[in-house]
Amino acid sequence: MAVLLGALIAFAEDNRAFAEPPSVTAVLSNSEAVVGQMVELQIKVTGAGNAQPPEHISIDGLEIHATGTSRQFEMRNFTTTSSVTYNYAILPLKAGQFAIPSQTILVGGKSLRTPELTLNVADSPGRSSASRPAQNARPGNASKLVFAELIVPKKTAFVGEIVPVQIRLGFDPRTHPRLIDLPEITGQGFTAHKLQQSGENRETISGRTYDVVTFKTAIAAARAGNFEIGPVKAKAQVLTPRRPSSPRSRSPFDLFNLDDPFSDPFFSDPFGEVGERREIEINSEPVAFDVKPLPQNAPANFSGAIGNFTMTTDAKPKSVQVGDPITVTTTISGRGNFDRVNAPGIEDEHGWHKYPPSSKFKQDDDVGISGTRTFETVLSPNEKKQSMPVMAFSYFDPVKEQYVTLRSDPIAINVQGGALADAGAAVVPPGSPPPAAVAAPTPVQKPQDILYQLTERSTVAQSFGPLYARRLFWTVQLVPLLALIGFAGWKIRQARINNREARRIAALQHEAVELMRKLHRSDASPREYYAEASRVVRVKAALARNVDPNTVDLETAADTFGLNGDSRERLRRLFEQSDELQYSGTHNGSEKISPESRRDVLELIEHLK
Amino acid sequence: MKNYARLLAFLLCAVSTSSAFAQLDSDFAKANQDYAQGNFKEAISGYKTLVGSGQWSANLLYDLGNAYFRTGDFGHAILNYERALALERHHPEATANLQIARDEARALEMQQSWPERYLQFANSNQYSIAAAVAFWVGVFCIVRLIFGRRRSAATIALSILSLFIFAIATLAVYGLDHGSKGRALAIVTGQDVQARLATADTANSVLALPPGSEVKILSTRGDWVYAVLPNKLRGWIPVKSTELVRL
Repeated sequence: MAVLLGALIAFAEDNRAFAEPPSVTAVLSNSEAVVGQMVELQIKVTGAGNAQPPEHISIDGLEIHATGTSRQFEMRNFTTTSSVTYNYAILPLKAGQFAIPSQTILVGGKSLRTPELTLNVADSPGRSSASRPAQNARPGNASKLVFAELIVPKKTAFVGEIVPVQIRLGFDPRTHPRLIDLPEITGQGFTAHKLQQSGENRETISGRTYDVVTFKTAIAAARAGNFEIGPVKAKAQVLTPRRPSSPRSRSPFDLFNLDDPFSDPFFSDPFGEVGERREIEINSEPVAFDVKPLPQNAPANFSGAIGNFTMTTDAKPKSVQVGDPITVTTTISGRGNFDRVNAPGIEDEHGWHKYPPSSKFKQDDDVGISGTRTFETVLSPNEKKQSMPVMAFSYFDPVKEQYVTLRSDPIAINVQGGALADAGAAVVPPGSPPPAAVAAPTPVQKPQDILYQLTERSTVAQSFGPLYARRLFWTVQLVPLLALIGFAGWKIRQARINNREARRIAALQHEAVELMRKLHRSDASPREYYAEASRVVRVKAALARNVDPNTVDLETAADTFGLNGDSRERLRRLFEQSDELQYSGTHNGSEKISPESRRDVLELIEHLK
Repeated sequence: MKNYARLLAFLLCAVSTSSAFAQLDSDFAKANQDYAQGNFKEAISGYKTLVGSGQWSANLLYDLGNAYFRTGDFGHAILNYERALALERHHPEATANLQIARDEARALEMQQSWPERYLQFANSNQYSIAAAVAFWVGVFCIVRLIFGRRRSAATIALSILSLFIFAIATLAVYGLDHGSKGRALAIVTGQDVQARLATADTANSVLALPPGSEVKILSTRGDWVYAVLPNKLRGWIPVKSTELVRL
């Protein structure tokens, strides 16, 4: 089990290592706050197990404390992503605009930097009535059962700038509210993002307890000028006391500006009467908003992005042939209107062919004003190059109130084939006279034309199917298969024939040995003896020549053993003696062969080799 | 009587086949004539009729590619040049025009893996023949070793070598057929085609595919195909925007 767990962890670590390089983002829970209102700073490190976040962040006017760490694991398509979020609580001590500088995070020996963040802090409501004008729906009157509050911390913005907005709906807990319609910000001249409920808590305001539901969204002005945002409108069902039988000095449906209907005896005696549910509309006060136009001197590649962004660029592969695609991955992180963040442009497209980019967005907050947009642009070099072109992205920084252009660092690549790009032209300083070679008009390359038609059509239809999928291919295989079967049959037959021949030879050898043993015995008659002697000679000759012993005659035997005159004569006498004794029918004297004759015959036979 | 009937049937068959071939030749000549006169749409129609009849040839598909090129339809031009080269690997005119069409269309090509690049000196059919020959040589050697009186080192070495070649050639056939330029190779023929993360026109784009770009189809789901893209990513492409190279 431990091994399996270890393997899984190793697999996850391995995947994580290959998934993506470590990255760091930083985001504020709200970029607008009032003095004394806590704001959360989250520094998120993705793709690294251990990181060293800053222990102390000191900024004059802000009290910043680390509040904890959370870790997330995500596995998608067998790719594991881990991230660690370091949380800090920021308590604004005074009003003003605070820049939270870029923080250095040590990740595995590498230093990563967070983007610079800006926190606008306004005076607290208690200090200045103008600080939160949108909160005038706040229940200063203790008789309010419900209230709606629109918090727009920034009252001045640029056209297109994303301004985070908070909506708070408060309900007396005794009304058992049920929200029917989500709050809606009415008004013209701006667009609002999708509303996200961000929290629900119980607060005591002016001595009364409220269940407060908080929603977050963001707005962006569509035109310049002064206009009002809101009011926020929402519908809810609340429990109200039944109309009293005795006339009262007020209407129970006038919930906002009259006395508290819960002072009705019903609420003091829950078993007395049953309340009734009524649908009510909750409205906030509108908020004045001043929208300034963007400055005129926008860069050429400005696409309307407003906020604070950082950019990183990478290209793969780095070694290609002319014409091969190179994927350039550009990551733009930060806070702003990401719907207007377009792919960075190429500053010098000479020698490059650019394809339309693809993009994906990963948001870091609920509303989508903080996150990372990644662009993948395929570039194809038309000629030999040594570095990627510089990618530029322009945006408007509302804090600095000026346009900012981010440029990618040069990325060295190796492009093989084609001619080397004219690097000289790129380094000529502006204003200097152009070199003669550059002054000469560049001949326009005529587009290549295709080759001629072919008017001969093959009479045999060709096939796209692979050869092994055709019937002919397998039919042809029958030829070697049949040949193999024939070859194997022939070999088997040969083996059998060889086996029979071997048995015959073995039999002849055995016979020769048996005959020689008999010839050494002295009890045989001359007829038998010479017959056996001549048979031995024939068998030996037959073995030597691989023929039938019966076909061996005197001449064959003499030639087989290469006998000279004397031996040949002795062999002839042996054959004659044998034939004579075999066919004459007489025994010619003694019944036994003399030892001299036997010795002579044996000597002759034993020398036959 | 039966023999006469058979002879008559054979003659009728021969005549009809001959007339069919003559008709195809006539259609081919007519399409070529349309092309020469600048009637490229009519030429495309004529060539497509021939392709539809199943009488495929590299020259026919090359000519069809030329006709598409003249109409500015680089996607279909590249598709037909690729088809011509699929039938005849060494078709010099198709190779030259394919390069021109790709340059014009800025079409993206699939990147081949290193085994595919090394195996490219022969095609799948040649590897199939090599595998078959090596297999039979190896088997004959083994049979000889089994039944022979003496087991010569040369026969043993030849059998091992043959079976090794057989294995390599079989792997090569598989690798080429299933590789980036194999049977699943398709060409983007539509305009403004985007490979997407999901089977919806509103899904995030993975890669913009100019006409004539190569993709390797992995699977089909409804009106979408899931394909390996030239940048080695994967994405969903509308079925109607791609066509397989191998018919």
